[in-house]
Amino acid sequence: MRNNGIHVHQLANQLLVLTQEVHAAPVATCWVWYRVGSRNEINGHTGISHWVEHMLFNGTPDFPKGTLDRIVARNGGVFNGFTSHDFTAYFETLPADRIELGLQIESDRMINALFLEQDVESERTVILAELEGKANYPETWLDEAVKSAAFTLHPYRQPVIGYKNDLLAMNRDDLYHHYQTYYMPNNAVLVLVGDFDTSALMERVEHYFGGLPTGPTIPRVYAVEPEPQGERRVTINRPGPVPYLQIGYLVPDCRSTDFVPLFVLDAVLSGAKSLAMFGGGAQTNRSARIYKALVETQLASSASSSFWPTIDQFLFELEATVHPDRDIAEVEAALTNEIETIQRDGISAEELARVTKQMRAQVAYGAESVTNQALLLGLWEMIDTYQRSGQVLDQLATVQAADVQRVAQTYLTRQRRTVGHFLPTNTGSISTVA
Amino acid sequence: MSWLSLSTSASNQATQPLLNTTRHVLPNGLVALIYRNPTTPTVSVRGRVALGAAYEHAAKSGLAAFTAATLIRGTQHRTFQQLVAETEERGCSVNAGGGMHSSSFGGKALAEDLPLILDVLADMVKHPTFPSTEVEKLRGQFLTGLRESEEETRFQASRALRKLLYPAEHPYSRLSSGSIETVQALTRDDLVAFHQWYRPDLTTIAIVGDVQADQVIATLEQTFGDWQGNTSPPDLLWPAVLHIEQPQQRHITLAGKVQTDIIWAVHGLKRQDPAYYPAMVGNIILGRLGMGGRLSDAIRQEQGLAYYASSSLDADVQAGPWAAGAGVNPAHVQRVIELLLHEIETFRQQGPTAEELDDTKAFLTGSMALRLEANDGIAAMLLGIEEFDLGLDYVVRYPAIIHDVTAEQVTDVARTYLSTERYVLATAGPDTAKAL
Repeated sequence: MRNNGIHVHQLANQLLVLTQEVHAAPVATCWVWYRVGSRNEINGHTGISHWVEHMLFNGTPDFPKGTLDRIVARNGGVFNGFTSHDFTAYFETLPADRIELGLQIESDRMINALFLEQDVESERTVILAELEGKANYPETWLDEAVKSAAFTLHPYRQPVIGYKNDLLAMNRDDLYHHYQTYYMPNNAVLVLVGDFDTSALMERVEHYFGGLPTGPTIPRVYAVEPEPQGERRVTINRPGPVPYLQIGYLVPDCRSTDFVPLFVLDAVLSGAKSLAMFGGGAQTNRSARIYKALVETQLASSASSSFWPTIDQFLFELEATVHPDRDIAEVEAALTNEIETIQRDGISAEELARVTKQMRAQVAYGAESVTNQALLLGLWEMIDTYQRSGQVLDQLATVQAADVQRVAQTYLTRQRRTVGHFLPTNTGSISTVA
Repeated sequence: MSWLSLSTSASNQATQPLLNTTRHVLPNGLVALIYRNPTTPTVSVRGRVALGAAYEHAAKSGLAAFTAATLIRGTQHRTFQQLVAETEERGCSVNAGGGMHSSSFGGKALAEDLPLILDVLADMVKHPTFPSTEVEKLRGQFLTGLRESEEETRFQASRALRKLLYPAEHPYSRLSSGSIETVQALTRDDLVAFHQWYRPDLTTIAIVGDVQADQVIATLEQTFGDWQGNTSPPDLLWPAVLHIEQPQQRHITLAGKVQTDIIWAVHGLKRQDPAYYPAMVGNIILGRLGMGGRLSDAIRQEQGLAYYASSSLDADVQAGPWAAGAGVNPAHVQRVIELLLHEIETFRQQGPTAEELDDTKAFLTGSMALRLEANDGIAAMLLGIEEFDLGLDYVVRYPAIIHDVTAEQVTDVARTYLSTERYVLATAGPDTAKAL
């Protein structure tokens, strides 16, 4: 099946393969996406998806620990992996004539990762160090507090990296069971974008992945976050440089017909943003509403909105770094006022047109990189369908200014929000010793 | 299938077309580097004025960065608000910022909007007005950013390190972002005066995308052609670096932290030093290759003591630090320092293995295809080529340059510069006594 330059293949073992030839530069990228993330985690096992992701860099019989990064480097490539709420992804971006290496690595570690006891133990402390590195930043404490207040039962309340006590308690069998449950062709999507010939490459895909067994049925996630019954407020008091504000409104998932109007609302508030993570986007926030109202007025040194597509209902967020001379309450009032102004007066036709133009440019910048193109295909396939990665401009064209006002009125209410304050407990608590 | 041979075909395919770059010098001395990449409808512009924090007085640290950031805050033809509205409504972005040796300006646009962003960038560079209200707004943002940095462990450790490596009058003893005290004291007159040193003959602009060189040159002549420099910056006198006789250590205690950043460093070498390529290869082997070279192997992979462990070689106009570090639990600080020193000493003694050297050469040459994939990467490469006078055939010569690096050269440079007896070491994190 072919759709907009994207070929869709399904192997007999149910592995979905998306390929897109791009001959702009002699590079290609190989991604494997698994439909598992912190959304799939239960109490006591928080962080297990992220830890399993780390274990896939710890060796197989064919690629023992410490060889994978060297072989990718030797072939002029880069590789990495990351875990999110809704998915786990791995990629290799390589000179085009080396793309088969990606197929070999990913097919091998889909099934053959060793999870040796001593590697599990050493990775436990690596992840604790990753967690402690994040905890050095005050924003991490605030974000965790906002998420855990905004979600009462949905796993989106848990940090992707997990809670420290769970990371101390889980063992090799827990991790290996998670791996065997979710890391199967029927729960994976292979995405290949770049300078290759599809039919020749598909022959190699079949060679590497065709023989892998289909896994068990994937456990469903039943959690549905209940309707909030009133505003929630959290405060973090810790050492820190300045106050930070974070507000999250519970909003629909990416399949909702209200998703695209919310996406436009985010762009009206702080510029159209690319979902592409590997560079290339343009900064478009300084002419948008929040920058004018918060940064230009010197209430905050930075402020923005953010909205990310997810499988289940998530948060539409507002964030601000409070100017040291200002009160966080003033900043909160000003941010809230920006939302209430749109609820009352709507947005202008010019703003809608500007968002569309900005998005058209962001799509073009993102398309300069095969890594970004594959990221968008895989990301959308994880949460809905890959087809949406090419539909963003068409979908924007269907949005009316009144839709944006309506979704602001419906979802960005005090009833549906969690307000977080980070209030520093110290000033000038730095000392140096020789 | 074997994965041991060198990938050269993609690398050649990526580098050969760069020979078609147009290098054009305007009558006022501005150098334009234009490369046509018709595969995307976009264009990247990167400009560089060879003037940065190295030219500031210590009491005015942060001046170059503040001056560059103010260029966008108002010009003779546009207020800041008009400028960002005009560009952002078309999905373009423009920016400017200052570093140690350069002040940069640039932007991205759909190719059709190139004339607009060149007009805006020329306006920013030639005719900034430094409006007082905008200067104060920006100062507030800088000061907040500095307050945040002041409480970051890695920032504190790297700042302490520079003070140990360089005397106070050396620009490398400071960070180009300045300090809270110096940024508070900068005046609008300081910014105006520093901008006077911006000159077209110190400026390079790289333009990469779906553009035609002759049209771009015509637009550059219209926008930047009438720019004339006023005064020349003073000649720089580089003070000697501090000689390190024995290990010197500093710890900075930061409240509320749970992890300690450790940085070890020595003086490195200049970018134009003949030993640069062996040093660059050696640094990759020590702390960059794959997940982070030997340091990551020892500290992360084998011992599980850190999420990151790596090294960096800051070879610039002058010799910046050659550094290595990791972020670790306070209880493991001493152990990780011992591991860092052990790996550095082993590398000094034994040099690289044949396999490490081959892997690194293959990585550096093979990955050129990735570095040159997108317009931004190509523009950055072109600017670097001009800055260090490498010649437009540099990317084509690059594989041979790398191929010629020998194990002996790498060992020599490691023994010359790296040391486990004369080094500086900074740690920043929670109170170690309490954490232990």
